[in-house]
Amino acid sequence: MDWQVLSSQAENKGIRLDPRTKIFLLLTISILVVGGEVSGIMIVIKPLTALIPFLLLLSSGKWRQAICFTTLFTILFLCELLILPAMGTSGFLLLFFCGLFGRLLPGVVMGYYTVSTTTVSEFVAAMERMHVTQKLIIPLAVLFRFFPTVMEEYHNIGDAMRMRGIRIGGRKTSKMLEYRFIPMMICSVKIGEELSAASLTRGLGAPIKRTNICQVGFHKFDGCMLLYGGLMLVLNLFRAIGLLW
Amino acid sequence: MEKTTNKLQAKDLVNVGIYAAIYLVITMILSFLSLVPIFHPLLTVICPIAGSIPFMLFLTKTKKFGMITIMGVIMGIVMLLTGMGYYCLLTGFVAAVLADIAAKSGNYVSAKKSVLASGIFSLWYIGNYLAVFITREAHYQHVIESYGQAYADSYMSFYPNWMLPVLLAACFISGIIGGIWGKKILKKHFKKAGIA
Repeated sequence: MDWQVLSSQAENKGIRLDPRTKIFLLLTISILVVGGEVSGIMIVIKPLTALIPFLLLLSSGKWRQAICFTTLFTILFLCELLILPAMGTSGFLLLFFCGLFGRLLPGVVMGYYTVSTTTVSEFVAAMERMHVTQKLIIPLAVLFRFFPTVMEEYHNIGDAMRMRGIRIGGRKTSKMLEYRFIPMMICSVKIGEELSAASLTRGLGAPIKRTNICQVGFHKFDGCMLLYGGLMLVLNLFRAIGLLW
Repeated sequence: MEKTTNKLQAKDLVNVGIYAAIYLVITMILSFLSLVPIFHPLLTVICPIAGSIPFMLFLTKTKKFGMITIMGVIMGIVMLLTGMGYYCLLTGFVAAVLADIAAKSGNYVSAKKSVLASGIFSLWYIGNYLAVFITREAHYQHVIESYGQAYADSYMSFYPNWMLPVLLAACFISGIIGGIWGKKILKKHFKKAGIA
């Protein structure tokens, strides 16, 4: 799989959201869908929240991913809701997988959207607007940029090691940890040193304040999405204190 | 060229980001084991041991107070964003500050203190489990609804109240073991490659 796709650069397709909106929505989803239950009014809240990544994917012109995601989520959700109660405990394994993937999927898709549509500069600009300290912005930006690289390294090294028979069930299973993680770390550290040198060359860490040409700010679409996410959170709050069932 | 100021430079911050990424990738790959109920509590042993390798490598780059703290806070933020709950923000911060103090007392070069720091830092991992103990009933319902009665029962049977100190101890001890093991690996692999 091509992990590098996650660190994609600016795409000027479709509507651009402010990175802060994206982070807020990501949090909303991780609270409501990943951590939420499936009973009472949550049956409505959950799919409505899962609608957010769908809308966002559409708005950035990723039609194929949007349709794939919605189909998969609908199947999983309906499965969890309708078929499984009828099956009783015999459907334990199925319920487990539906429950797990149904709840992880929206979060993963939202994460994919956030990472693939936000450039590092945009992220930094938005964080600076929020007056987050530089001490957190720089490591987070590096993490953001670097995570896909490490994943890609890991998979490439996995391929290489499989050729040598170092895999689960292979002859050298016990060596897996050492033979897969260590090369990954060496690669990543080398790449990281280059990254750090490159960013220093571009004036990161210079004693003056850096400027940023990225335009970040809230627009109409941001407002709508923030309102929508906020509404879902408020509904959930009402449910938690017992105003809604 | 290198100045010996105590303020964090951009290079240090970039280093924090890099090692946090490596640490998180390893933790996340291993976390998939938790699909099998028995591995869920065992992760407090597996993750710190494996995570200690990049952490020990990270400690060789750490010379200033604050870097480990930032690393811990970042762990908390990422766990929050990936839906593991907000307890990690707290545990990440507390464990990392303590680890920072431990490493500082050895001036960031003492091998023993580094191993100790690795053990203390591993305590942040307990944040992923706190929800089970603090909101026991609600969490039980939550697991039933998402994964079914059978899974929930076997899941909860791993976590009676006395498990909390056991898990904490498990994190700490495996962090120490991982630290010692990490030191050996540093010697075996990374010194040769000229990284550590």
